[in-house]
Amino acid sequence: MSKKAVPTRPHTTRSARRRVAATVVVLFIIMSVFVGRLVDIQVVRAEALTADSVGNRSVDQTVYGTRGGIVTEGGVVLAESVMRYDITVSPKNVGEFTRAIEDSDERATVTVAQASAELGAITGQTGDAIQLIISDALAANAESDFAYIAKQVDVDALRAINKLDIPWLYPRTNPSRVYPNGAVAGNLVGFVSGEGTAQAGLERGQDACLASEDGTETYQKGADGVRIPGSSITTKEAVDGGDVITTIDSDLQFFVQQTLAARAQETGAAWGTAVVQDAKTGKLLAVADYPSVDPNNIGGTADPDDRGSRAFRASFEPGSTLKALTAASVLDAGAADLNTQVLAPYRYLPSNGANINDSHQHPDQQMTMSDVLIDSSNTGMSKFGEMLTNKQRYDYLTTFGVGTATGAGFPGEDGGILHPYQDWDAQTAYATMFGQGLTTTALQVASVYQTIANDGVRMPVQLLAGCRHADGTITGQPETEGTRVLSEKAANETSEVLEMVYNNSWVSGVWNIPGYRVAAKTGTAQMPDGHGGYSTGYLVSVSGFAPADDPEFVVSVSLADPVKMNTSAAPAPIFQEVMSQVLKKYRAVPSGLPAPDLPTVQ
Amino acid sequence: MSDNLARVPQAGAPQRSAEHAEEHRRFQIVSPSAGRRSRPRIVYALTAIAGVGAIIVAQLLLSVGTSQGAYEISALQASQAELSRTEASVNEDLVQVSSPQSLAANAAALGLVSNSNPVYLRLSDGAVLGAPSSASGSQASSASLVPNSLLGDNIVLSQLPAGAAGTDVSGAAAAVAVTSAPVIPAGLPSPTTR
Repeated sequence: MSKKAVPTRPHTTRSARRRVAATVVVLFIIMSVFVGRLVDIQVVRAEALTADSVGNRSVDQTVYGTRGGIVTEGGVVLAESVMRYDITVSPKNVGEFTRAIEDSDERATVTVAQASAELGAITGQTGDAIQLIISDALAANAESDFAYIAKQVDVDALRAINKLDIPWLYPRTNPSRVYPNGAVAGNLVGFVSGEGTAQAGLERGQDACLASEDGTETYQKGADGVRIPGSSITTKEAVDGGDVITTIDSDLQFFVQQTLAARAQETGAAWGTAVVQDAKTGKLLAVADYPSVDPNNIGGTADPDDRGSRAFRASFEPGSTLKALTAASVLDAGAADLNTQVLAPYRYLPSNGANINDSHQHPDQQMTMSDVLIDSSNTGMSKFGEMLTNKQRYDYLTTFGVGTATGAGFPGEDGGILHPYQDWDAQTAYATMFGQGLTTTALQVASVYQTIANDGVRMPVQLLAGCRHADGTITGQPETEGTRVLSEKAANETSEVLEMVYNNSWVSGVWNIPGYRVAAKTGTAQMPDGHGGYSTGYLVSVSGFAPADDPEFVVSVSLADPVKMNTSAAPAPIFQEVMSQVLKKYRAVPSGLPAPDLPTVQ
Repeated sequence: MSDNLARVPQAGAPQRSAEHAEEHRRFQIVSPSAGRRSRPRIVYALTAIAGVGAIIVAQLLLSVGTSQGAYEISALQASQAELSRTEASVNEDLVQVSSPQSLAANAAALGLVSNSNPVYLRLSDGAVLGAPSSASGSQASSASLVPNSLLGDNIVLSQLPAGAAGTDVSGAAAAVAVTSAPVIPAGLPSPTTR
């Protein structure tokens, strides 16, 4: 049977059309809701949401730059930065926690008291003290998220604390400064405050070289704290500070500080300085101060004035040691020679109204230059000194460096006082011939002797050898050009006179260094009493150089007011021990030549 | 009536046309026979899907590998940080032990005595320059005049065994104990007048 196809009507009845229309409308509404939301998120609130998301995922981290160290030319570290850690706690999160037990799947419950006790055992506090810190922080602010438990613990303590696995502790890095050699060169190196700002000494003076810059780094982390690879952005590079290189020798510095301190305490001195300088280059090998300061323990030095370097900052009237300068000036100007004799009374009253006398009564004596310096006669020196005009002596004084800071590199250095010669009154005009009426620092006195030792060429006094930056370049190297102050002949003649002083002085038995030719001069200067006059205390000093035939080292020692021995016999043993050590350390071989025998009357 | 028997067409044309017309009016929809397929081959679909799948899997593996690498890097960086901390800490200890106070104390504990009298031996001719004399005194006590507060109380690293001190050590105290209080040399008597 054939089947008849039933003709169907097309799908366009009205009810069908309505169904289609309704579906389209519903779809359209849903789509528009999504599109609207999309536009809202992507366009309207895009920036705010991005900022939120970055804040949630990315971490800003400070990358610390390391402060530069202070080192010697030999590589010994005098000051360096080390990383220490502060242990902080989040008080609002403090509570019991569980800790994994070794070799077992169980976890042990640890109470706050037990955790505090364990923590305190490492940091050196009692568990109760730690709990007190936490409760105090919560009492001040119930939502407190931060309090310090211990500051500046080292790496071993940090690792032990991390092993305790206490979840409410947060260690933070905290760079700190350490001085491995203690008080050796402590007065020179200076110290920093607890926050790391330089406060004294080379730390402060060379802060531009030493200071570092912190950098910042941003990275993004996943939920378990691992850095998402490729997401680290160094927004700012950290710059390490540079190292300051000093010319000091740390072993010699230790020896000189020791010797100075022992003798200063023995003689009851108020303070003292000792300087060792290389005669040929002007480099300072040791600058010792008494009392010294240990920058690791600043509180151990009670008087703040003792924490600086008096060798650089305290100027004093040098006294008889400057007679060498006057003698050299007179010889260089040709006003006298080694045979010239003058009549030296006990008291000399020159025509301009000054009044000069010697330290001990004696009859009028004929004296050559050597006699004047051996006896340290003020009147004899005045007779020689007045052969030059005031202006000539003033010019020699300034060329020798008196009145100007040496510029060695120590901050706040004193330049001493030298009044212009037009302002010299009658007494000052004569007093400056024997080292009174003007002030110098210990370094300026050493520099005078360095000039005489170095054939008349004054080398700039050097404490620093430069700043070695993190990338290896060295900047700030000092001048090495010398200036000629005396002729070589005058310098050598003065050196021989000083050798005569060394061999014939009343302290020659004390400062004798067998086998070597040494030149030295003592000095006893009155100290000002602060009211325009002089006190009864003396500032005694010894300055000299060795080996005298080809000098290599200058040593200058000063003791202020050694009450138990108020003469220049007090610093003489220091000079002897320091100079012996210097000659031995640097293997200066004695020449074996005899000392000169200059004309003397006495 | 129609049947499948083949018939010899009659000669009558109008009969044929009438039959034709009937046949024409009766159309049946013939279902298409299983002849030419209009669906594409399944191989192509499988290849496409497999390709997409392979790409996705490869991408997943790469990203797993990268994150695994990130974990390794993180672990290595952590261990590098730990090692540098150890190095810095050990370096600190080394520098402290090299400090002059530590060396002087340890030298004194070993029985060494300082000698401030240098004597030179010239190797070319064996001449002795200087006056040799035995060493006397020890500077152990004055080491604490230049203190180092970093060293603490344990600055002496090794002691001589008892009874092993050399017989030539003269003037040095037999028990070289490093005291923490400075031993100030006895002061000179103060002069009564000046």
